[in-house]
Amino acid sequence: MSASLYNEDSLPDLLPIYYKRLFPHTALHKWLCYGDPNVSNRREISFTLVGDIYLRYQSFENAEDFAQALHKRFPVKIDIGAIYKQRLESSGSYSSSKTPVEREIVFDIDMTDYDDVRTCCTGAGVCPKCWKFMVIACKILDGALREDFGFENILWVFSGRRGIHCWVADKKARILDDNQRSAIAEYLTLLRGGLVVRKVKFFNMHAATERALKVIDEYFEKSILVEQDILGTYERLDAFLGNIDEGFSPLFRDAMTKVQTSVERWKAFVNTFQTLQREQKIPKHYRYMVEEMKFYYAYPRLDINVTKSLNHLLKAPFCIHPKSGKVSVPFKPKFIEHFDPDAVPTVSQLLDEINTYDAKTKAQEKDLAENSQTSVKIKDYKKTSLLKYVTIFCEFLRGLQASAARNRAIKNGTVMEY
Amino acid sequence: MDFTSYRRTVRKAIAEEPLSELYPHDVSMYRESPKSEISILEFEQIALDRLKLLRIIEQAAPKGNRLYSDQWKTCIKDDLAKAGLKKYVRLMGGTSGTSDLDYQARKADYLSHFILRLAYCRSEQLRRWFLSRELEWFWIRFTAQSREGVKNFLRLYKFSYTPISEEEKVSLRHELEASTAGLILFEETEFFKVPFTEVCSLVRGRKVFLKAGFAYIPSSELVVCIQSKFRAELSEELTWYSHRIHLFDDERIGPLLSNFHNLHTGQNYRVRENHESVDPADLDAYAKKHFPLCMKHMHEVLRSEHHHKHQGRLTYGLFLKAIGLLYEDALKFWRDEFTKKMDLNQFEKGYVYNIKHMYGLVGKRASYSPYSCVKIITSSVGPGEHHGCPFKHWDVNLVKQKVIECGVSVDGANEIKQLVSDGHYQLACGKYFEYTHGKALGNGINHPNQYFEESMNIEKGASGNKK
Ligand code: SF4
Ligand SMILES: [Zn+2]
Repeated sequence: MSASLYNEDSLPDLLPIYYKRLFPHTALHKWLCYGDPNVSNRREISFTLVGDIYLRYQSFENAEDFAQALHKRFPVKIDIGAIYKQRLESSGSYSSSKTPVEREIVFDIDMTDYDDVRTCCTGAGVCPKCWKFMVIACKILDGALREDFGFENILWVFSGRRGIHCWVADKKARILDDNQRSAIAEYLTLLRGGLVVRKVKFFNMHAATERALKVIDEYFEKSILVEQDILGTYERLDAFLGNIDEGFSPLFRDAMTKVQTSVERWKAFVNTFQTLQREQKIPKHYRYMVEEMKFYYAYPRLDINVTKSLNHLLKAPFCIHPKSGKVSVPFKPKFIEHFDPDAVPTVSQLLDEINTYDAKTKAQEKDLAENSQTSVKIKDYKKTSLLKYVTIFCEFLRGLQASAARNRAIKNGTVMEY
Repeated sequence: MDFTSYRRTVRKAIAEEPLSELYPHDVSMYRESPKSEISILEFEQIALDRLKLLRIIEQAAPKGNRLYSDQWKTCIKDDLAKAGLKKYVRLMGGTSGTSDLDYQARKADYLSHFILRLAYCRSEQLRRWFLSRELEWFWIRFTAQSREGVKNFLRLYKFSYTPISEEEKVSLRHELEASTAGLILFEETEFFKVPFTEVCSLVRGRKVFLKAGFAYIPSSELVVCIQSKFRAELSEELTWYSHRIHLFDDERIGPLLSNFHNLHTGQNYRVRENHESVDPADLDAYAKKHFPLCMKHMHEVLRSEHHHKHQGRLTYGLFLKAIGLLYEDALKFWRDEFTKKMDLNQFEKGYVYNIKHMYGLVGKRASYSPYSCVKIITSSVGPGEHHGCPFKHWDVNLVKQKVIECGVSVDGANEIKQLVSDGHYQLACGKYFEYTHGKALGNGINHPNQYFEESMNIEKGASGNKK
């Protein structure tokens, strides 16, 4: 593969071609209005154009309209907002008169929120080691959304640089109000911020907490202790002990400083805890201290405000991240372990792929023409590594269609609900 | 009551239905507007009684009783008895009795609820206040019900909640036991399966087991669902009334209802109207000695960071105004601090209006009153903000450390810590006062300005004695 390097300055030149030839606007549009033509002009889409020009409250009559706008403006970023009660006029009306009525539940997990526990990279950087935080987060959230809330149509998207997004698109999720959304968001949030010592606190082992713990345990030793080396230096050890009440921390410090590596130190921590517990020196509300620590280091850190409200904007899938040039692609949570953010194609790479493909087929077509067969026109994205991501997206759309059909059948009484 | 007559095209003179059918239960969803006729005098009387009831409920928590605790309930019951509102005490009993007194109590409850809808539908703020109080009142009566009483209620109001089968319960035993907060006896608890959207408050804190979008709640939490239904219905009704209020107001009831909320304000702390002004040069010393922890903290933050966000400026600014900081002094005070971090121009542009506004010199020219403890305690404090109540918004260990720094003994600090852990923030504040002043307060703290005044009084008393 001729991996041509992406250069941020070339983005304005690449975007028009990307939108013309590769961007799956038909599929995206289909999703955004759930096959209902009356939704299209009520769904808020916003564009950020080159030079940070921000256009909010755009809406489109239909798929062609949407495609045309993309081809005309080639936005650097497309954000998706709510479906509103009334039609949105595309030019500058006031937001106060608009009532959002439907919207996917969204989650945004950003690597920077892990900066106080990850040690391999900081800020915008991301490597296979810290990507594990995303793996854990995705597995835990996906599990809870499906099992606890019964949601089925969930789209996971790589944000293009260092985070992941999640869209829950079931009808019953879309119609939840702000209060219900915030209940879900808070249910899924276990880390508290601010001036508190214990950032995670359990009084009982809730079934969802137990399930999350299983996921964390799969990764804890290798990814958190070894790779992140969270106890490897005195500084990190101090940070760790800072999560424990002053009354106990010296006891743990003694045991933990006797050994060197993170794994050994963690073991010393667990052993000390168990001994104290046997001696009945651990008050009842500290009995989950070991679990609390694991959660502090590995439990998903959500930007809760994104989830809480009906009309928060979130970047659409298949946008290009301007800094990295990478496409914001969907992925399947089942395979997130094998998802390598480094392998996600950049826009320049994709355009190269088309060219290579075309060059190759031209040669073949010549052959074919000599054998007098007609050539078939192939969609451009199918010529590139974008294909597999579009396929994932289309699968998600099919799932939605199936759910909608089932809901209709239940409504019409042709299917018994059980 | 006459005020619904416009809904009916023909007004028939119907004989009143028997009370047992009109008011069958102590707990009501208030779904049908009453059709009885009452005298204007009675109308006023029962309306005022209900206002007193709601005020008493409102004040129970600031007196140091954790919301919905037994102590809180007892306090309300005692206060109602003291105020002579026996009928409401009766409704708290959970008996749904059938004596004439019971029916009269329910009738008064029913009618007065509807009268207050008319008084409280008038603004967003009033609606919110009324809704919260009514929800609490609903909760008090519902939770007093026996199993039988709850069953009757569910039947009367056509709620279709039924407990899950023994089989399902047993098969989910591990999950239910692990996930249900405060569960004591699994065997004796009935569980109800309800859409999670009906019990958001339980979902939020992982207090119940969830599966496929349903929450499994113990019968003791059924009140949460019913209460949220009640909230939804009442809130919709209030909006409905607010759009039609002009149809209800007439010269007899209009004047009474339009200013209703201020008729009976109970024993709330009132900021004194005119007192001596304070010298801005004294503020540092005052902060040390006479400010409650919340304001002391704000003062220290302002001095060290030279900034406060909007809520902080408002909370602290109004407090200062009420202790007697004059407008000119306030302006200078804020300016001197803020301009350590920004230029004068920026300050003039961004903040002066704000301060004028606080002093009622611009805008609506309203005279804003300083925030009470309840308001401060219930406000939310975001990152970079400092306006909350330390007892409520800080980690308890931090509170402990802080009060020790302020001169409280370790034992005292532990006592305060315990109160905080039990959710008695204002009592904790009172204890803090006690330990830093060597004198207990009769009634606890319900306003930062009250704290200040009490503290000043002690000092004045002390210097007065010396003379
Ligand atoms: S209880 Fe009231 S006065 Fe005391 S710190 Fe809290 S808000 Fe301030
Ligand atoms: Zn890394």
